[in-house]
Amino acid sequence: MATDKELSDFLEDIERRAFKQAIYAVRKEESALDIVQDAMIKLAEKYGDKPAAELPMLFQRILQNTIRDYFRREKVRTSWISLFSSFGKQDDQESFDALEVIEAEEGSYGAETGQNRLERSQILNIIEQEVQNLPSRQREAFLMRYWQDLNVSETATIMGCSEGSVKTHCSRATHTLATALRAKGIYL
Amino acid sequence: MNTTKELNTAYRLRHALDERSHELPENIRERLSSARKIALSRKKAAVEAPAFVMQPAVAGRAAPSSPREDHRLAWLGRMGAILPLAALVFGLAGIYQYEQHQQVLELAAIDAEVLTDDLPLSAYLDHGFDAFVAKGQD
Repeated sequence: MATDKELSDFLEDIERRAFKQAIYAVRKEESALDIVQDAMIKLAEKYGDKPAAELPMLFQRILQNTIRDYFRREKVRTSWISLFSSFGKQDDQESFDALEVIEAEEGSYGAETGQNRLERSQILNIIEQEVQNLPSRQREAFLMRYWQDLNVSETATIMGCSEGSVKTHCSRATHTLATALRAKGIYL
Repeated sequence: MNTTKELNTAYRLRHALDERSHELPENIRERLSSARKIALSRKKAAVEAPAFVMQPAVAGRAAPSSPREDHRLAWLGRMGAILPLAALVFGLAGIYQYEQHQQVLELAAIDAEVLTDDLPLSAYLDHGFDAFVAKGQD
């Protein structure tokens, strides 16, 4: 069973990468923070008594499910908004949409990057953007395998696909990233 | 892209992502830290499996204080289950023996009654007795 310290150390180690993973997926800082907090609480509440070695895989599974739940809720919310907005006046609808767009841009991660950063910072930013632009399955597989250090089998279990599919997703993700970065003059 | 080159690229990207993740703004780091504290405060406590250990119930006796005493009490607990079974077996054996003895006594009593009857046993071996009986019938 993981002790309080082991769980605390694990969460401290994982929280930044988890936040990045969430933000690559949902692209909203506040939502990403909520997702990470939910995943941490679920892990502690339901699996706090599990051995420390099992925590990375359990946390990844919870995180991916929480991200999927977020998208499901967003889909439902968007459908309700579009349903109700169709009953409203034309000018109300327009003002509402504009606010939505402005809020999304201010809260989005990409808005925090500036033009005057150092060259290295710009390169890192480009890399991050390219990771964010990957197809979701490729990004999930790539981040779990190469960033979270999960093996092929664990990644396949979390993603609910075969080990062969994980290898294919990882390979394609790496190839896509390398090609996209090369096109921007970045050679790894 | 071959596997080695692919792995090298992946690990370079990993380092870049790691570096980027360490540049998080202060407000986000604080939010993550508070999220971690909330999660830790709700940590699931260890659930111990219920142990079915037979505890000898002795009036006025405190809980075992040492492992040695605990061991002795566990032995007593086992004996608590064995002793009633042994008593039952001995009891059944005793009843069986008693019944057998009673049967022997009943047979002995019948034999004694036959032997102590008015007609002596030697009469059955006497040929003259048959003649006497035949004559009596006449």
